[in-house]
Amino acid sequence: MRILIVEDEPDLLASLAQALREEGYAVDTADNGDDGLFNAEGTDYDAIVLDVMLPGMDGWEILKRLRKTKKTPVLMLTARDQTRDRVKGLDTGADDYVVKPFDLEEVFARLRAIIRRSANKTTNVIEIGDVKIDTAARSVFFKDKALEITAREYALVEFLALHRGEVVSRTQLYEHLFDENESSLSNLLDVHVSNVRKKLGAEFIATRRGHGYCIA
Amino acid sequence: MKIFKSIKWRLQIWYGLILVVVLAGFGITAYQLERNRQFRQIDDELHRRISVLASALHRPPPRRQNADQQPFDRPSPEQMAEDGAPPFQRNRPRPEFHLPAEDVHFFDASEQHGFYYVIFPRSGGDGKEIARSANYPSHEIITTAANSLRAVNVFSEFPARNIKPHQNFSFDNHRETGDVLPSGEQIWVGCSIAPELKELHRTALNLTVVGSLILVIGLAGGWWLVSRAIKPINEISATAVKISAGDLSQRIDVAEAESELGQLAAVLNSTFARLETAFAQQKQFASDAAHELRTPVSVILTQTQTALNRERDAASYKQTVEACQRAAQRMRKLIESLLALARFDAGQEILKRQQFDVSKTISDCAELVSPLADERAVKIYVEAEPVEIIGDSERIAQVVTNLLTNAIQYNRPEGEVRVKLESQNGLAILTVADTGQGIAAENLPQVFGRFFRADTSRTGAGNSGLGLAITKAIVEAHGGTIEVASEENAGTTFTVRLPQG
Repeated sequence: MRILIVEDEPDLLASLAQALREEGYAVDTADNGDDGLFNAEGTDYDAIVLDVMLPGMDGWEILKRLRKTKKTPVLMLTARDQTRDRVKGLDTGADDYVVKPFDLEEVFARLRAIIRRSANKTTNVIEIGDVKIDTAARSVFFKDKALEITAREYALVEFLALHRGEVVSRTQLYEHLFDENESSLSNLLDVHVSNVRKKLGAEFIATRRGHGYCIA
Repeated sequence: MKIFKSIKWRLQIWYGLILVVVLAGFGITAYQLERNRQFRQIDDELHRRISVLASALHRPPPRRQNADQQPFDRPSPEQMAEDGAPPFQRNRPRPEFHLPAEDVHFFDASEQHGFYYVIFPRSGGDGKEIARSANYPSHEIITTAANSLRAVNVFSEFPARNIKPHQNFSFDNHRETGDVLPSGEQIWVGCSIAPELKELHRTALNLTVVGSLILVIGLAGGWWLVSRAIKPINEISATAVKISAGDLSQRIDVAEAESELGQLAAVLNSTFARLETAFAQQKQFASDAAHELRTPVSVILTQTQTALNRERDAASYKQTVEACQRAAQRMRKLIESLLALARFDAGQEILKRQQFDVSKTISDCAELVSPLADERAVKIYVEAEPVEIIGDSERIAQVVTNLLTNAIQYNRPEGEVRVKLESQNGLAILTVADTGQGIAAENLPQVFGRFFRADTSRTGAGNSGLGLAITKAIVEAHGGTIEVASEENAGTTFTVRLPQG
């Protein structure tokens, strides 16, 4: 899952990014509105964490412009907790909002929820045959047995599972699993795929040559 | 009783009392006038009858043997000696009375007044009355009247000297009057005044009824008037109740701005408006203050929660602690600014009053901000003539520092800041001009507002958005003014005028 954080307070941005990376997300950051919109329009993020008060273009404006082209789930960070502001945010196209000061756990939960909703899932648990994926605990069970799985491998499984039935291209996978600062050596993705196949069975991820990967 | 303490009731009671007094006075006067009129009519009738009776009194010619004597009522001394009585009296012949037929109707007993009469001879005579009408009342009314007392004996004590001619008496439904003729006879006439009394009684009744009606109508009208007069007051108090209940947007409907109540309402309305503005400002201020505190608190929460999520190395913990320190310092600065503003608002900030040279303050401040200016490659030009003012040098230094810091921060890289100080007409005039991007005209009025930021990118730790608000508060506490002029993409100029005295 790849997430964009747009926040102008450097200490807040840094710790949010660190915390989300540690949760297994690929995280991009922007510290002003213009960069934020540029990133948001140029990349298919799985979710955007957007501060309202921003230098340059403010959060509302970014949201308004972004909604013309993309349906990326957006979690607004707002320092104003008046109903008026929340209503404005939701009406402008935000999927959810968190009022500052917030707890990290709440941000994580709300992010999971908006990502899940955008994939039309209603629960945190995705079951595919013998494989069960708990997106809240970020763990994978095979035949009801918890599996040792790295964060990157989990991200790969989760992304494919959320897009079950679709063919996901390698580019898409790069975009969603790695942030802009990671060196994306092409064989790295193949390594993760083959590791997952070893753990969950070779047929769990099908390869569509020339197109990408797919969980049926 | 609470109800009688209300103005409405008190007005009504006073009004009612006055109305009763006026009506009673009017009624009594009207009754008296009517009574006098009736009695005067009766008295005219009575006097007319006295004339009739007087002319009906026939005096026989004097006695023959005294024919040579003159005048007839001057008796001889012998006569006086004869019976001891004054010859004047003795010799007067008793008059005869005969009422002519054409005058009989004056004493018609069947007429409602039943006029009657009695004629007495001159006093000292035989006391026997000369004539009396047939309907003369059996009781001794006339005697009583004549004496104005309870007379004992009309014949022996007849007292005409006690009465004045034409004096009238009313009693027992009768009215009487008498006259003493020049020849000494007394004529008394009287009549029943029962019809007049009945008439007066009816008049009194009518006056009472009409008076009561007028009183009722008057009281009702008074109640209406008082209610009308009180209504705006009630409206004002009802609105005031709503406002005190927290709805500050309520206003009193000022229908007649010119009336006394209209003026009161206008005064109250402007008070309410000021209250509402003050409340709104207070609310906005509190909301802004809370908002400003949310970001540093978010930093601390997120930093610490991230740090505690797993084991970290010392460098990572150090980073977290440093970030928390920055956030805490920012909060401290914000709180200090808020408190300073609150003190200025409450008028509790005590300024020192000492004489000092502002140009010295400016050079100190310019030195203080020079590292920041160097960092941004901004050049500061100071052109200050020595100007002494009386005030709080530390606070004025704060003003200068704030303006300089703003001028540097909002400047373009390698821009200029020009500071000028001069004395004009007893005012110290300080101008700080930058070459920054300027402030949009629509934002200029809010520049001195709290938490205003021309550029939201400057939300860094050093900028609370309160600096110019505090600057303005300090300048105004010194009795000075501060103005801002700005041209977009050219620069902004702040002008501070401080009285030197």
